[in-house]
Amino acid sequence: MAKPSPSPHKPRRKAKQAAHATSSLRNASAVEAMVRAPAFPLAAFLWPARGTVSQWELLPLILMAVGLFRWAAGLWGYSGFEKPPMFGDYEAQRHWMEITTQLPVSQWYFHDLQWWGLDYPPLTAYHSWLCGKIGSLIDPSWFALFSSRGSHDPTLKIFMRATVVVSEYLVYIPAVVVFARRYSRLNGVANWSAAVALVAILMQPATILIDHVHFQYNTVMLGLVVASMSSILAGRNLWAAVFFVAALGFKQMALYYAFSVFAYLLGSCVFPRINLPRLITIAAVTAVSFAILILPIVIGTLSDVRRGIDSRPDIDGPRPPMPLFQGLADHLDTEAFYYPVVEQLVQMVHRIFPFARGLFEDKVANFWCALNVVVKLKKYPTELLQRGALIATLASIVPPNLVLFFRPRRELLPLAFASTAWGFFLFSYQVHEKSVLLPLMPMTLLLAGSHGLNKTTRAWVGFANILGCWTMFPLLQRVDLAMPYVVLTLLWAYLLGLPPTSLSVYFQEGGNSWTQWATLFIHGSFYLAMAFWHVLERSLQPPPDKPDLWVVANVGVGAAGFALCYLWCLGRLVTQSEILPRSWFGTKEKAKTQ
Amino acid sequence: MTEIYPSLAQCAVVAAALKILLFPAYKSTDFEVHRNWLAITNSLPLWGWYYEKSSEWTLDYPPFFAYFEWIMSQVAKLVDPAMLKVYNLEYDSWQTIYFQRFTVIVTELLLVYALQMFVDSSHGASKRAAQAAAISILLSPGLLIIDHIHFQYNGAMYGLLIASLVLARKNSTLLWSGLLFAALLCMKHIYLYLAPAYFVFLLRAYCLSPKSVFRIQFLNCVKLGAGIAAIFGTAFGPFALKGQIPQIFSRLFPFSRGLCHAYWAPNVWAMYSFVDRVLIILAPRLGLAVKEEALQSVTRGLVGDTSFAILPDVTPRVCFALTLFFQAIPLLKLFAQPTWDNFIGAVTLCGYASFLFGWHVHEKAVLLVIIPFSLIALRDRRYLGAFRPLAVAGHVSLFPLLFTPAEFPIKTVYTVFWLILFLMAFDRLAPASSRARFFLFDRFSTLYITVSIPLIVYCSLVHGVAFGKSYEFLPLMFTSSYSAIGVVGSWVGFVVVYFTS
Repeated sequence: MAKPSPSPHKPRRKAKQAAHATSSLRNASAVEAMVRAPAFPLAAFLWPARGTVSQWELLPLILMAVGLFRWAAGLWGYSGFEKPPMFGDYEAQRHWMEITTQLPVSQWYFHDLQWWGLDYPPLTAYHSWLCGKIGSLIDPSWFALFSSRGSHDPTLKIFMRATVVVSEYLVYIPAVVVFARRYSRLNGVANWSAAVALVAILMQPATILIDHVHFQYNTVMLGLVVASMSSILAGRNLWAAVFFVAALGFKQMALYYAFSVFAYLLGSCVFPRINLPRLITIAAVTAVSFAILILPIVIGTLSDVRRGIDSRPDIDGPRPPMPLFQGLADHLDTEAFYYPVVEQLVQMVHRIFPFARGLFEDKVANFWCALNVVVKLKKYPTELLQRGALIATLASIVPPNLVLFFRPRRELLPLAFASTAWGFFLFSYQVHEKSVLLPLMPMTLLLAGSHGLNKTTRAWVGFANILGCWTMFPLLQRVDLAMPYVVLTLLWAYLLGLPPTSLSVYFQEGGNSWTQWATLFIHGSFYLAMAFWHVLERSLQPPPDKPDLWVVANVGVGAAGFALCYLWCLGRLVTQSEILPRSWFGTKEKAKTQ
Repeated sequence: MTEIYPSLAQCAVVAAALKILLFPAYKSTDFEVHRNWLAITNSLPLWGWYYEKSSEWTLDYPPFFAYFEWIMSQVAKLVDPAMLKVYNLEYDSWQTIYFQRFTVIVTELLLVYALQMFVDSSHGASKRAAQAAAISILLSPGLLIIDHIHFQYNGAMYGLLIASLVLARKNSTLLWSGLLFAALLCMKHIYLYLAPAYFVFLLRAYCLSPKSVFRIQFLNCVKLGAGIAAIFGTAFGPFALKGQIPQIFSRLFPFSRGLCHAYWAPNVWAMYSFVDRVLIILAPRLGLAVKEEALQSVTRGLVGDTSFAILPDVTPRVCFALTLFFQAIPLLKLFAQPTWDNFIGAVTLCGYASFLFGWHVHEKAVLLVIIPFSLIALRDRRYLGAFRPLAVAGHVSLFPLLFTPAEFPIKTVYTVFWLILFLMAFDRLAPASSRARFFLFDRFSTLYITVSIPLIVYCSLVHGVAFGKSYEFLPLMFTSSYSAIGVVGSWVGFVVVYFTS
């Protein structure tokens, strides 16, 4: 006892002070952050971690905290809970686990299409197969063919929730963590700010509400896209192509980003000088990735044919013609060994891209649905509408992608992805309200970028996210999920200091007061409209001759707000890319970019 | 630096969001207990409250808690009148769940307020530490598990306790501290365990002159006596008029229960039972006599009463004597030096003694130790050294309260999150002690904390895979024996710190 064991805290203390000093020397903005008070509550929560705490201590805590919110949100109901006859997305995902584990590969895309037939690309099918196999080890009755339909076993729910969480922690979360780190370094943002942005991105209410509450696996696809973006940041264009093919192979919605990936990769092969070998390798890697993606389906089909398993055991007599590309069938020999593979792939494409459906499915806050309020679109022929949608979509996505093509700079990726996805969401064919997750994801990633946490960016990213959640409210309300909607949305708004909890993002010292007031006016009127809409929807029944009045109002406001978000992303992309000569901007724009 | 971030209010908002998301989580019979009390207090006249027994969950809290339920029932009437029917047993409409869960969150504001009082009462360098301790209490996994999932109103009760402890910090508010504690006793009588420390402290610091023990401050005595009498009169008076006091006391103190609760609280008796279990296996070799009738209970471990096969049985009298004895020792020092730090230490040690040696102790009572201890855990590193194993053991011992798979990730991840966050933060904030630390104590505590990881993994995963439903008592026994070692170890450590500082 005379010589007590050396106290371990003393050296630690010294090290802490040393680290403190070097970090403040290294980064002037960190010093700035030292003296000021946190600007919004999320920054206050990470306030004690400034400078001194290593990210290896911080990151596990962040991942645990966001995981808790995800799991707790998952305790609530899911889409289609005890809602026969068709149930909902939860049943669709469970059903795919059932058919992929119980049926031969060649029947996956043909089996009883009326009951949630598989209509996602093959990677989803493989993912379902894996989850279904694991789940069958626990309880085979969960995925028994036919008898398990519409199951609402509470343990099955826990298993399904766990598959979403595990998939997200294996794909989306690592991708976002890596992206946030690379993107913030690229923009010279301090580690601490990047950690704040990371929490903000991971607490994004829309993804939690759709994936962990309403039920889907969007984060897998989004995660693969983020992985693709962060590969681009790291200069690994081939990996970017592989990840992007995987994203497309998981959910065809990733097509929203395809033009931007293409524009960037092509641009990087052309500017500053034409690099043909690079272009060829990227193209080859993409093609090989696609081939690997469909390889299991091809092999499965061939082996099923050899074993005499019919892909459509429900049909007696002659096989119906292929659903698409009928002209192709005339040139093919239906008895050839490759014919079943062709048929299988055509069927897959047919299932994945439902060209035969209408312009929009439900009430969704995009341009067409909003236009439908004024002009009844049903009276126009489908072909005209399809062509109109195509032209409008192209018109909206060409500008951002041209910018990205001519200025293939890594800092511009999130803005270009966001504007392209907004264009798709607003103008394309067959949009679902959940698709708003796609433009929201890259837009939210802006928080990790340069000045990502300043008031202007926070105001716009927050506006888009809160508006996005609000447009999904009717979807959530239908399955009694209003409470998690309220809690998660308000929590995020609170953490980032956004309306309705705070107006501080609109008042900035030294900023351009005219711009600030304009933003406040525009955003404020939208926030007021949203609040007013909630009051109306809660307290008044819509008039009997217009039962959808509230939903239609929601769609109209949402579409207008999203159009603003599109314009903001595009405008910022154009200014940041410096693609237009300086002299084109007035003094006002100069002040904005500073 | 005037402001310290994050503030308590900010933490409370985020915690409230998580707690609301937990509304659909598992709820224990305590939910029905409290619903039943809402119904009893709302629909019966005062005199019937302590006689009503339609439900097996009769009213067994003191009158202030019943009044508290009555006040809440006035709001409940507007939410869903059906929950206020005494015969509506096991009623849980979603309105009832929303209402009852909301009341827990709203009444917890008392705790937030009390913790803010605590932070405001600390000055200078210790203010940051006080803020960290306050946040650790606010976010305590114990309160989350017990109040917001399992269902109880401990947040509000501990809010009152902390407010009373903080009021004792200044001489001018000593009287209010005592009165508030008296009111708390009339809400939940478990705080009687802490009453000896209050008694000694108020006697020495308020009723006797600071200069001499033999000079009595009569005015103070009268104020305190009259105040306490008024509070107890308000609580029990109406019932005393009708001669219902014996009935109330038979409800409040049901001595017919066993030594250990269904699941053993991690105290001395859990270790005693564990030794007994081990001796059963060794008995044939050692030539010890085995009481056959006890074996039936022994193999189950889940049943209510445990009796001992080898070791002598323990009577309530023995428990009571041991508890009082171990409470009395620290009180001697408190009487000699009635400082606030000694007072909190004595309250903590009273909590320890009653938790470790009490009769029919519930594992939830560990908060009675953890929460007062948190207020002084950051005084210096020696205090922190004793606090660490308690924080781990106390919270791990609460795990068996939630046994449903959906809540498993919540309880484990939340507790691990809390332990990493606060043990790390406390480590940075606690100042070095001027005295030498005890020999190897920190090493033991590190080893102890490390062991918790395989233990949790075994109890929650490995056991289920290896044995399925059989030997269900094993994980429970391991958990409580492990936790008992931690609680006893931290108690010994803290006794040394208390007497040497």
